[in-house]
Amino acid sequence: MSKKALDYNLNRPFSSSGVSLSFIFKDNILVFSVLTVLVFGLFMLYSASGQSESMVIRQSVYVGLGFMGMLFIAQINPNSYQNILMNLYWIGLIMLIYVLIFPDDSHITRRWIDLGLFSFQPSEVIRLILPLSVAAFLTRKELKPKYSDWLISLVAVLLVSFLIFQQPDLGTSLIVFTSGFLPIFLTGFPLFIIILALSLMGILSPVIYAGLSMYQQQRIITLFDPNADPLGTGWNIAQSKTAIGSGGFFGKGYLSGTQSQLDFIPESHSDFIFAVIAEELGLIGISLLFLAYSVIIYRIFFIAFRSETIFGRLASASIGFVFLIFILINVSMVVGIIPVVGVPLPLVSQGGTSLATHLLAFGFVLSVKRKSGW
Amino acid sequence: MVNHTEPPLSSLRMFKISDLQGQEASLKGLKRRSRIILGFLFFVSLAGVLQIVKLTVIDQENYATESEKNRIIRVPVYPSRGLIGLAKSNRLLVENIVAQQLTINFKSTADIDSTIVDIQKTIGIPEEVVRTFYKVLSSNPRNMNIILMDDLTEEQVAKYLVNKERWPSSDLEAYLKRYVIDNSLFSHVLGYTGAVSRQEREDDEEYRYSINSRLGKSGIEKTYENELRGKVGYRTVEVDVHGKEVRELEKVLPTKAKNIFLSLDQELQELARKGLKGRKGAVVAIDPNNGLVKVLVSSPDYNPNIFNETAEGDLRSLNSDTNAPFFNRAISGNYPPASTLKPFLGLLGLESGIINWNTKIEDEGFFQIQEEGRKYRGWKEEGHGTVDLNKAIIESSDVYFYELASKTTVDQIHSFLKLFGFGQKTGIDLTGEDEGLLPSRNWKLGRTGDSWFVGDTINLGIGQGYITTTPLQLAVAVSVLATKGRAYKPNIVEKVDETFIEPELLYQVEIKQERNWKKLEESMISVIRSWNGTAHNIYNPEDFLIAGKTGTAQIKSMTEENLTVQEEYENVRKDIKKRDHALFVGYGPIPNPNLTVVVIVENGESGSAVAAPIAKSIIDKYQKLQESDV
Repeated sequence: MSKKALDYNLNRPFSSSGVSLSFIFKDNILVFSVLTVLVFGLFMLYSASGQSESMVIRQSVYVGLGFMGMLFIAQINPNSYQNILMNLYWIGLIMLIYVLIFPDDSHITRRWIDLGLFSFQPSEVIRLILPLSVAAFLTRKELKPKYSDWLISLVAVLLVSFLIFQQPDLGTSLIVFTSGFLPIFLTGFPLFIIILALSLMGILSPVIYAGLSMYQQQRIITLFDPNADPLGTGWNIAQSKTAIGSGGFFGKGYLSGTQSQLDFIPESHSDFIFAVIAEELGLIGISLLFLAYSVIIYRIFFIAFRSETIFGRLASASIGFVFLIFILINVSMVVGIIPVVGVPLPLVSQGGTSLATHLLAFGFVLSVKRKSGW
Repeated sequence: MVNHTEPPLSSLRMFKISDLQGQEASLKGLKRRSRIILGFLFFVSLAGVLQIVKLTVIDQENYATESEKNRIIRVPVYPSRGLIGLAKSNRLLVENIVAQQLTINFKSTADIDSTIVDIQKTIGIPEEVVRTFYKVLSSNPRNMNIILMDDLTEEQVAKYLVNKERWPSSDLEAYLKRYVIDNSLFSHVLGYTGAVSRQEREDDEEYRYSINSRLGKSGIEKTYENELRGKVGYRTVEVDVHGKEVRELEKVLPTKAKNIFLSLDQELQELARKGLKGRKGAVVAIDPNNGLVKVLVSSPDYNPNIFNETAEGDLRSLNSDTNAPFFNRAISGNYPPASTLKPFLGLLGLESGIINWNTKIEDEGFFQIQEEGRKYRGWKEEGHGTVDLNKAIIESSDVYFYELASKTTVDQIHSFLKLFGFGQKTGIDLTGEDEGLLPSRNWKLGRTGDSWFVGDTINLGIGQGYITTTPLQLAVAVSVLATKGRAYKPNIVEKVDETFIEPELLYQVEIKQERNWKKLEESMISVIRSWNGTAHNIYNPEDFLIAGKTGTAQIKSMTEENLTVQEEYENVRKDIKKRDHALFVGYGPIPNPNLTVVVIVENGESGSAVAAPIAKSIIDKYQKLQESDV
């Protein structure tokens, strides 16, 4: 009960009038910490893009639209579209098949859909939609799932992962599988099956490695010995580490990172923007960013565990985990402890697709709180 | 708590009975599973945190050094291109002039398009220039200064400087442009410079060229590229976050480029150009005693400054010009030597013993191998009467040489003419030299699939048929007559900086009877001095003595037997392009020749009336210049 009171106090400054901000925001702490990271991200993008105003303006439009979309979804009863969410899976599946059949010529791997005005990667949308879709399916009867439900979900997740693996994109494929498997795991999928599957994979890993494409094998080799290929993929990691390391405790100062500004960091505005933050703002800057992320994640679970419906609970918790896992994967990749996979730093990296899907997912979490009515 | 690993059917039923109870149970399960994941992720993130601490705290210094190294870059310093002048007068022909170019370093410009559009609007850049820029941009790696526009006008420079703060990725650079002072007078000799190509940059192992470099693409500019280029130096500099130089750490100066001095003579060159009057043709004059080229004119010509981008001009229209102004006729043009080949064939006759100076024939205007066979007609309808070698050269009797040729073989002609350099490149220090064509049995078989006919040999006797020479090749061959047996490699460049280029003896021709050189020269003098000589029109008893030979190269062979040669030609000449080429080869002054001249005027019709006067004027002028020097 004391927690409730504390929450009320925190919300108080924003709820002075009748129709208050917190009525729209549902959860001020979550919304303002998200906003903080978004604004911070725009500033970092300005630096990381070589001070490109147009890129920041474009990103700001995505931020604005995504933010409004988030608030819009926050107002809707999540149970009213649980079915729709469940069936979003099929749309995702169609998009994935589409990119496999009609590859976009401008990209090496088949990942993009070009809608004229903008193009996006279906796999980026799917890795956020999939956990929601699976959660919606598993909780459609407000009951503990049966084995058959788990089996159907597992097949659905594996199918999508396999299609992404065919693009070919091993990293995303694993990430999509993980995020799709989250709700299955959270509803109590038998642990011994998981342990069995993992040990089987361990035994079979040499065979699997042999079946990977050269490009995927190279990425794994690079992880273990970045110096083996100093000007190829390993060069990127080496430069990224140099940027982070040279930033030290206090950083080199905003817009003063030589690695970032002289273009030594690959994809500095998208996947590797964390290296720019580390170089220019140092360990202190990173810590502050992590703090903001922690507040967001804490708030998501706070809401999730207080949700009235199993669906709201499961879906929110999945969203929280996906968000956390994405941060961990991106940072681990940039600091060079896992292979380079195409995962942007959530809410910060340039790119509309990832930004919008994360914000809409947060909108869902906020709407769950509304339903809870506290 | 419900056992999730093996849910008994009863527990499922329980949920149905009490929804609230089930909810409570599922929340507990969710929390328990969440804790498992969180615990796992905690260990994963611990690895990340440790790595970050290792990078930013423990190894910070290493990485700081590493990142400093990235700020040190090496900037090449290019020497300014060597100058080209004339050796004798020290007159400058090609110089470097300063111009301004606008470059873009697009690595620091993510919004390249808006910047370019803004610059384009502000200072006024043609759409075409921008398109070229994008082409270069897309085909080159990042992190380079790429030219947006060169040769900015003063107004453009001013507009740029006022607004330059808006375009941090752009820069104004001074550069040197190549300017040919006399425009087209020396065009085919000097050649021109052009932007370095991708291939040339890939082949450039010493990194002598930047993406914006220009290098010699033809002529002297190309053959002496190494000397004119010099050796690149470099500076090691530290740059700031904008890529701008902070300080210089090291500097290695470039080696000065060499200056090139040509053996050509300005006044003779002008004279030759004037003599051709813009008609298609070529004039070559070389000093037979050392191979130094005094005149090399190909007409029509072009202004190399258009290529050097120091003069306005439409390259496309020049390129599509059917008169081919870029084509260097003097060293690449293939012409039948026609009657100018007769002295060489006469010498062959003497050497092989087929004829001597007393051998006489009756020239009735035509030659037949056998009765009723094909008639090979001479240029003079009624013939030249009784003809010996001397008269055959003076009056240019075709029939005499038809008969001489009929008594030799193509193999004999081939091997003898080869001694004089026919069918081979002279090795002049210019680009694009052609080797002409000295036919042989094997050549014809390989080329046409037909074997060699006697008729082919007879045509060869008057320098027609398959044989072609370049004007330069002819000049070297005639120089052998002038020097009585020696041929020097023709050279355009007389000295590089202060070092003179040594004359290089190409080959020596030795004949059995040395006096035949002298006698042949006598005949060639008579071509001009004797009243019946074909070039008597240029004779002036007060001038220096010149030896020479005219030639009129047929483009279309005269085969209609029912018409006389003259009548048939009247029809042919209606088409200007089918008119005969006018040729003259000569050297003087006798007895100590210092200049060999070859003149070819395409479709000029008369070797004596059109080509010979040009040659004579050049030899005369050269003597006057020599005298005034002394």
